[in-house]
Amino acid sequence: MFEIRGRAARIGLTLVLAVMVVPFVVPLYTMVYGSLQGRGWGNYASVIGLPGFWLYFRNSIIISVFTIAIVYFLTMTASFGFSKLRIRSKEVYFWLLMGALTMPEVVLLTPLVITVSKVGIAGTYWAVIIPIAALQIPFTVLLTRSYIDGIPDALFEAARIDGAGTWRQFWHILVPLVKPMAVAIIVLVLINAWNAYLLPVVLLGQTPGHMVVTQLPNSFKTQYTDDQTKILAGAVLAALPEIIAYVSLQRHFERGMAAGAIK
Amino acid sequence: MTTSTATASDSPLKPAARSRSGGGARTGHRHRTPSGLGWILPGFVFVFGLIYFSIGYSGYISLLPWDWRPPRPASVVGLDSYVRAFHSALFWTSLRHTLVFFVAAFVVQTTMGIVFAAILHSRVYASTFFKVVIFVPVVIAPAIMAPVHRRVFAVDGPINWILQHLGLLRVDATGNRIWTEWVGWLLSHVGLGSLTPNWIQPATALWVIIAVQIWSSIGMAFILFYASMGQIDPEIIQAARIDGAGNVRTLVSVVVPNLRPTILSLAILNAITALKLFDYPYLITAGGPAHSSEFLGTYIYAELFGVSQHFGYAAALSILLLFLALGVSIIMSLSARESRPGRRIAREWRA
Repeated sequence: MFEIRGRAARIGLTLVLAVMVVPFVVPLYTMVYGSLQGRGWGNYASVIGLPGFWLYFRNSIIISVFTIAIVYFLTMTASFGFSKLRIRSKEVYFWLLMGALTMPEVVLLTPLVITVSKVGIAGTYWAVIIPIAALQIPFTVLLTRSYIDGIPDALFEAARIDGAGTWRQFWHILVPLVKPMAVAIIVLVLINAWNAYLLPVVLLGQTPGHMVVTQLPNSFKTQYTDDQTKILAGAVLAALPEIIAYVSLQRHFERGMAAGAIK
Repeated sequence: MTTSTATASDSPLKPAARSRSGGGARTGHRHRTPSGLGWILPGFVFVFGLIYFSIGYSGYISLLPWDWRPPRPASVVGLDSYVRAFHSALFWTSLRHTLVFFVAAFVVQTTMGIVFAAILHSRVYASTFFKVVIFVPVVIAPAIMAPVHRRVFAVDGPINWILQHLGLLRVDATGNRIWTEWVGWLLSHVGLGSLTPNWIQPATALWVIIAVQIWSSIGMAFILFYASMGQIDPEIIQAARIDGAGNVRTLVSVVVPNLRPTILSLAILNAITALKLFDYPYLITAGGPAHSSEFLGTYIYAELFGVSQHFGYAAALSILLLFLALGVSIIMSLSARESRPGRRIAREWRA
């Protein structure tokens, strides 16, 4: 964008940029540096040695996988219906769905707490998976429908004339063509499910074995101990999978998150 | 399945798919299009069942006595909880914080996002490295980073360490951190004489939350602006340069006007974020000290799970929050009619 002539200007602008990103690095540096204070790597050893350490990750993985599966399946079928099939007063259904687009999760808190204990799924994965998935679907449908609108109808008509049923059109034409959007959606849902904090805390509970990865750093901050170094070591370990996933799938992450931003 | 995927994405049909033909189902071939109600119902029922049920249930609970909670028998008393909310200073405080947050976060994010995007669209070294550093905060969960930010803003944390080494702070004989003379003099002359270098205090806690949230979302603004700057026709910029516009002039007069749809999307995104805000204020300051960083999310949470659980009141607050969010989404869909961000994004990605 900026027109730069010569090596000196290039180096100069890079230096300006380097100074500007210092505030971004400070917390990351604090996290790593702080986690190695005191007992050094021993902090990590005691975090990993925490009884049920792997359960934090296992719970987050289970919740993310099921949320992604539900959102993917329901989004694909619904978007296909909205975009390419005949439905009476289709737009009414669509706008009812879009009404839930900006729902703050805290609004669901009171009814969910009561309902979940009444239905008897309090403390189970479903108590978390269902609301997280339901909060994602309006938006993923909006995106996917726009995307499918751009696929020519002639493709589906041709398949129909050749005798393909709706299911075959869905599996053999739609699903492969929507793949680029599907990847973005999967990344978006993965991040939202993995980073969820409020719903798991309230609906899954705060007892060992029932916690997710976002609760890991704070489990060292109890009434009795406020062990900074272990909290920070816990934060590093909890953040690590996300950073590795992001750096190795950089493009997909940026797309998926940007998709989540533009509603 | 795998073979069909591979051939379909490489097939010559793809360029055709890029051309706009949305909504074609309505023209001509209607009689042959199969019914699709069964296709949308699972998703529709899933979302409608959960979210609209919850809203309805919240609406009902909000009409119960304000201090009602589950085991007690329920009896509808009317709008008492709403009256209570409108008379509650804390409700208005939370709303004011939400507004301050929205304005500050929006202004800083837009400015910094555009500046970062412009610089990274220029020929700088190590651009991938910088992009990753700017975007990493977006990816990491707020709940994971919250204890780190508590540490960053701690009295003996890195922020004060930096200020100390810049000569703005010093440690006195008793080990307390105090401003150096001229900073103290300066602060007392702008009416901030009581400010001490302890950031989690009523005067500054809100700004700590705002700063942290901005830290974790500039990357998003950056990515959005970076993408839309890439869409600007290079000839427009070329023309400005031929007319003698410098770098800054080109950015302000040519590039920024072309980013208007993105700025609008970012404003909406920020409004929703401000209304939804929970993780950072809850985990860094817990809305305190003395409610100085209270937001609607933390307020509702405190009413629900605080010392005394007020389910009726929390439900009324939730319904009020819902109306605010709905207002934002109506404004959004009205403005989206002009710019259609969803469609634009979908189109860009197909390329």
